[in-house]
Amino acid sequence: MTSPHLVFQSLVLGVLLGGLYALLAAGLTLYFGVMRVVMIAHSAFLILAAYLAWWFHDRTGIDPLLSLAVTVPLFFVAGVLMQRLLIRRLSPVTLTMMSVLLTFAIALVIEGLLGYVFSGTQRRVQLGYSGSSFEVLGARVAVVKLIAFGLAVVALLGLYLLLKRSRLGQALRATIQHRDAAALVGIDTDRVAGYGFGLGLATAAVGGTALALDSTIYPSLHWHWIGPLMAIIVVGGLGSVPGAAIAAMALGILQSLLQLEMGTTWAQTVFYVALFATLMVRPQGFFGGRLAQRF
Amino acid sequence: MSAGQLSAEAVAGRAVEPGLQATGLTKSYGGVCAVNDASVTFHHGRVNALIGPNGSGKTTFFNCATGMIRPDSGQVTYRGRDITRWAPHRVAAAGIGRSFQLCRVFPRMTVLENVLVAARARSLRTLLGGAYDRELVDRARGWLARVGLDHVEALEARNLSYGQQKLLELAGVLMADPETILLDEPAGGVNPALIGRIGTLVRELNAEGKTFLIVEHNMEMVMSLSDHVVVFDRGRPIAEGPPWSVQADPRVLEAYLGV
Amino acid sequence: MRSASDPASLRAARWGLLAVAAALVFTFPVLAPNAYILSAGVVVANYAVLATSWNFMGGFTGYISLGHAAYFGLGAYGTGLLVTKADVPSFLALVLSGAIVAVLAVPIGIAALRVRGASFVIVSIALVLILLLVFQSWSSFTGGSNGLNVPRPFPDLLRPEHHLVFYYLFAGLLCLALLTWWAVDRSRFGMGLKAIREDEDKAQSLGVPTFLYKLVAFVVSATFTALGGGLYALWFGDLDPIFQFSILVGSYMVLMALLGGIRNLFGPLVGAVIVGSALEYFKLEFGDTQFHLVAAGLLLALVVLFMPDGVLPFIGDQLRRLGPGQSSIREVSAGELLEQNASRGDLPGQGDGVEGRAAPAPSEVTR
Repeated sequence: MTSPHLVFQSLVLGVLLGGLYALLAAGLTLYFGVMRVVMIAHSAFLILAAYLAWWFHDRTGIDPLLSLAVTVPLFFVAGVLMQRLLIRRLSPVTLTMMSVLLTFAIALVIEGLLGYVFSGTQRRVQLGYSGSSFEVLGARVAVVKLIAFGLAVVALLGLYLLLKRSRLGQALRATIQHRDAAALVGIDTDRVAGYGFGLGLATAAVGGTALALDSTIYPSLHWHWIGPLMAIIVVGGLGSVPGAAIAAMALGILQSLLQLEMGTTWAQTVFYVALFATLMVRPQGFFGGRLAQRF
Repeated sequence: MSAGQLSAEAVAGRAVEPGLQATGLTKSYGGVCAVNDASVTFHHGRVNALIGPNGSGKTTFFNCATGMIRPDSGQVTYRGRDITRWAPHRVAAAGIGRSFQLCRVFPRMTVLENVLVAARARSLRTLLGGAYDRELVDRARGWLARVGLDHVEALEARNLSYGQQKLLELAGVLMADPETILLDEPAGGVNPALIGRIGTLVRELNAEGKTFLIVEHNMEMVMSLSDHVVVFDRGRPIAEGPPWSVQADPRVLEAYLGV
Repeated sequence: MRSASDPASLRAARWGLLAVAAALVFTFPVLAPNAYILSAGVVVANYAVLATSWNFMGGFTGYISLGHAAYFGLGAYGTGLLVTKADVPSFLALVLSGAIVAVLAVPIGIAALRVRGASFVIVSIALVLILLLVFQSWSSFTGGSNGLNVPRPFPDLLRPEHHLVFYYLFAGLLCLALLTWWAVDRSRFGMGLKAIREDEDKAQSLGVPTFLYKLVAFVVSATFTALGGGLYALWFGDLDPIFQFSILVGSYMVLMALLGGIRNLFGPLVGAVIVGSALEYFKLEFGDTQFHLVAAGLLLALVVLFMPDGVLPFIGDQLRRLGPGQSSIREVSAGELLEQNASRGDLPGQGDGVEGRAAPAPSEVTR
């Protein structure tokens, strides 16, 4: 039997992990919300950002966190361009299916290029504080994990404020809820959708940097992320940002707790079990509903 | 039922038999009641019309009745059979065919295929048998000729004009051989001559025994075509009767003029 | 496929082409200069089986599965495990594992097909990832990452002969899959499936039991894929979860089918020949770099963006445009029909079509 001490430790780690999941799932939800696109390449961009952070640190020796200053705007622009130049070219009738294939293709290209440029070798950022950790109520927490969590929370909070307070956020929410109606009240939904993509990719940039802090990275790592993330947005109800965040937290904690009993690999299956259970019991997801039913 | 209605029946010399019937049907979307405790009876063998201002819940009612949307509560019966919450294909198999408000055809299938799709397979053998059986194709061509599309049967449906697509949709519905046909705004977005043609078709088919339920905004068409009119407002019927009596009903005027 | 409207000459040309292609397929082992080329042929034949199997779902219903590697892997491991653990004769094991996958595909299909589009793709990907996890972790049963050795069904054969036999086995399975696809394509069942691809709600309102149809197509597709996987296991003799449950294999199936044309019987086969040969060539020239990922990704993106109907319809259009009068009859007749249609208008006999054509088509606006 596992001790309550260990359970608490796992709980803390689960919350830290859940924060990162929540941020990334929010990005996926944005793409789906504005364009009805399931962005398979999201986690490939995540790994790309992690590689950029590692490379930045490797070359300059400066803290990889500072790479955010470059990657976030870069990814934002990449997202806008991707929507303008690629996604928008697809026929609206088959958009959902074809965009999956297109973003899948992008993921393959990114993975291939990462392998080509950086080789398949596993990489890890070594920092002065990489090994340090501290204790909270008996749970041991690595500093890097806490920084990663902090990054995710700050980014998520920023996203939330942007959506709730700014004009762009208002336009984004209107577009997500009802694209045609938003267009009718004078919102340039195409442009807004582009910004939605940019913001989504910016979350991948933040997430990637956070990931680089405490994980070993390799080109095909993104497959380990995309599965759980997809499961999260389905469980949360496609298109619902709060739903995705709650599902991310819940599943992250569950995964962390299950690791105690089952080991890391088997614990990952919790996402897929949750995915199948959701589809069987409540296919529209647990928090969304309106959007998912149409797909 | 009003006295006027009964006498109209007597004039027409037809027995009244309930066809599609809804009791206490309710469907709301996030607090907005699209259909609100609606109880309506449409009569078998006649041309029924369902009218009402925009947003009065006609199409939602239609969709609930045909299984495209699950109602929150209430009951739908067809000729005495409870068909509430049946899947659309079962409703279709029970003898109810329908068209869609914005006209839906299968764009990348040919005109002939669009009609052939609706042929029902009654056994596994026919299901796996050829879709282009002579008998089937003849029947499909018959319906295409009936709506005036036999000369374009080899075209893909997306190449047709909007009016032609409406006719094609009707031919598809007829191919399934329904007893009752629900048409959602058959006159919407088509030219007057075509409206006349659709009206003639409805009248002919009704004489051949098909029951109709038509949701329509074109009053001229409704008044000239239907035997029985139900008026919807805010998700429920507010008046019904033969066209001439409904036309004179103050409640109907009120609903339309928004007084 | 729409032979009803094809002129006789085109049909004859098609049969001729088919005969030539079939002859090429069957004489390939004789023409192949060495065992390596022959084994590449086996790989391509295997891909052709997989892509054609995939097309039962993707082509007919328009539901794009990126995770068909799941059934490939299950078929392969099913066969391998039955042979090694239960001592079942090789080809009986192949058939049995096909049947097992068919049974497994029912609940999977029920879960995946409850929702449309996006969620279906998500489930298909998730399935491969979960199976990869399970088959890697459960090493006591599957051999895990050490792989699983499947004894050859014909231990006495030399390597080239082994390839030769399996080349024809794959070709046979391919024929079976193609025949089935053809039979479905011309049946009422297939008509219903195609209607689902075009407009699922509309199909249902016309009385097509869409869920059941989709499920049957899904199970058939999974079963053929599993048979392709099982045959692969018997041929290759060495299974590794990383390859059997690889997202990449699933995406190759999609790429091949899409490139060839999912509406065509031979589309996936043509795509498999193109992509499969290219992959083998890449492997030979550039070795085991990540370059094939980039190439596959770029090709997939190009097909999705510029040729979503595939090369076969594309080439067909070009041929008809370039070809002499005889072969372009269908094009002309379609054009004439359009013209005729325009002049006769909406209302043959009433002569008034102008307004009808000018009327807006809201169905396009709202999509």
